[in-house]
Amino acid sequence: MSEGPASDGAMIELRGLRKAFGGKPALHDLSLEVQRGEIFGLLGHNGAGKSTTLGILLGQVNPQAGEAFIGGVSVQRDRARALARTGAIFEAPRFYDYLSGWRNLEIYTSYSARVPREQIAEAVEIVGLTKRIRDKVGTYSQGMRQRLGLAQALLPENELVLLDEPTNGLDPEGIHEMRALIQRLNRERGITVLFCSHLLVEVEQLCNHVVILNQGRKVFDGRWADIAADRRRVRFEVDAWEKAAALLTAVPEVVVIEPGLVTLGDDVAIAALVALLVEGGVRVSAVEPQRRNLEEIYLSITNHGASVE
Amino acid sequence: MSLFLLQLYGELWKLFARKRTYLGFGVFLGVEALILVLWQLPRGQQWMKRMIEQSGGTFETYFSGLTVAMIMVTTTIFLLGALYLGLVGGDLVAKEVEDGTMRMTLCRPISRWRVLLVKYVTLVLYTFALVFFIGLSALAAATLVRGSGGLFLMIPEEKLVSFFEFPDGLRRYLVALPCLALSLLSISSFSFMLSCWNMKPAAATIASITIFFVDWILHLLPYFESYRPWMMTTHMHTWLNVFRDPWPWAQMIEDYACLVGLDATFLVVGLIVFSSRDFKS
Repeated sequence: MSEGPASDGAMIELRGLRKAFGGKPALHDLSLEVQRGEIFGLLGHNGAGKSTTLGILLGQVNPQAGEAFIGGVSVQRDRARALARTGAIFEAPRFYDYLSGWRNLEIYTSYSARVPREQIAEAVEIVGLTKRIRDKVGTYSQGMRQRLGLAQALLPENELVLLDEPTNGLDPEGIHEMRALIQRLNRERGITVLFCSHLLVEVEQLCNHVVILNQGRKVFDGRWADIAADRRRVRFEVDAWEKAAALLTAVPEVVVIEPGLVTLGDDVAIAALVALLVEGGVRVSAVEPQRRNLEEIYLSITNHGASVE
Repeated sequence: MSLFLLQLYGELWKLFARKRTYLGFGVFLGVEALILVLWQLPRGQQWMKRMIEQSGGTFETYFSGLTVAMIMVTTTIFLLGALYLGLVGGDLVAKEVEDGTMRMTLCRPISRWRVLLVKYVTLVLYTFALVFFIGLSALAAATLVRGSGGLFLMIPEEKLVSFFEFPDGLRRYLVALPCLALSLLSISSFSFMLSCWNMKPAAATIASITIFFVDWILHLLPYFESYRPWMMTTHMHTWLNVFRDPWPWAQMIEDYACLVGLDATFLVVGLIVFSSRDFKS
């Protein structure tokens, strides 16, 4: 019995995963769900547990507790069926350098199914390697290797692609191309993508949903919008800041961070503060809810280690 | 089954597209040429003449291509064969793990047992290919130089001295090759097992060759004669029994049963170890 409890539409479901290497915990009770058709980000510092999670999902790492499901099928109990439509690439996809790109694709895909030549050619065309596919991989640039890695991850007609730091080692142009390619595959082919990275900006630009890991623990699980738009920080532009600060700090749950910038408690209305300032004789020229710098949010979450789910 | 053959085809491509795979073939050709030259020297021929005539044969009849080919095979195969089979067997899994290609393979919906089985079958084919190459190239080169003739065989440590007419000698020589390959498969299997452990390819190769040579040296020492049945090389030498009259069938079956049992044990231990490993960058 390898069918899992995956809810409708969930492409990936992780339930209570725990793993330690040599007694050192790598994952603590990790659970998450990735819905079909989304680009899901797994964000964390190096050593946060991203690669371990991916390893467990691919059946390359054996968890001490918990279970991973792909399309409702347990990876630990029926790996072959769970991974039947799953592809993956790692930070530096490895190939047989002394063979051509085409031969590499034939060899790797033979471990999944007998893949028609046309299908391989199509994947090669999607990643833009048609002209060099008969050359030895040893002559490829890092960007070409990554694209070849993506081509092999797409074969044969995979619905889910797991990407572990796929832009590592790429130049800015290569990063842009890779990102555009992932978005196109998701948009045009409905491929679900699990994207692991330690780079905040990449996850922000690609992913609808994100989980942040810190020291093997999930510290955030939600949409970017939920953490990125922080309405509780407000910047005021006024003609007399000292006078305004005196008025604002008299209000409970209002804290001045720096001239012009305050944080507000949940019950404090911005309109009420504006009215207070105007009535106090302060001229207000602008009020701007602040979007916190993403790096700040990330660091704040990972440093506190507390779940913000 | 067809998918298995496709995977085997890919595995053979990977193996035979690498230059180092041919190192063994190339070195054997060189060694064969050297041995041929040495046996053409007067001192070498005098020694051989004495051996043949002391054993009751005529030098002109038995100092033939077949005899020289047999000398080439028996003097080089256990030394160089062990080295190159250890090298390829030790590389087969460990090198792929080291290079990261194994992790890419294990992203695929294929069991680890299947991956190893494909690799092991490849190794079996390589072992047989190497032995047949050595045996047939030695025979071709030696016959070219010495011409055809009877087979004289003298292996003192196996208490084996035999003369065969050309047709019988050739038949036995050709039967001996698959028997020899089956014997040498134990070295391949042992290095393959070590290759499945978490170790560098070079370590797997060196460990397998070292253990094989220690076993062989102990086998040759008279002091350890009573322990010979416990040594792998004792059973591996059974391929030479095809040059006895009559063939000691019971002994050969027992020896090959031991070797096949060892090979199966090495394979299963390798599979168990490999299956329990975590693969992570």
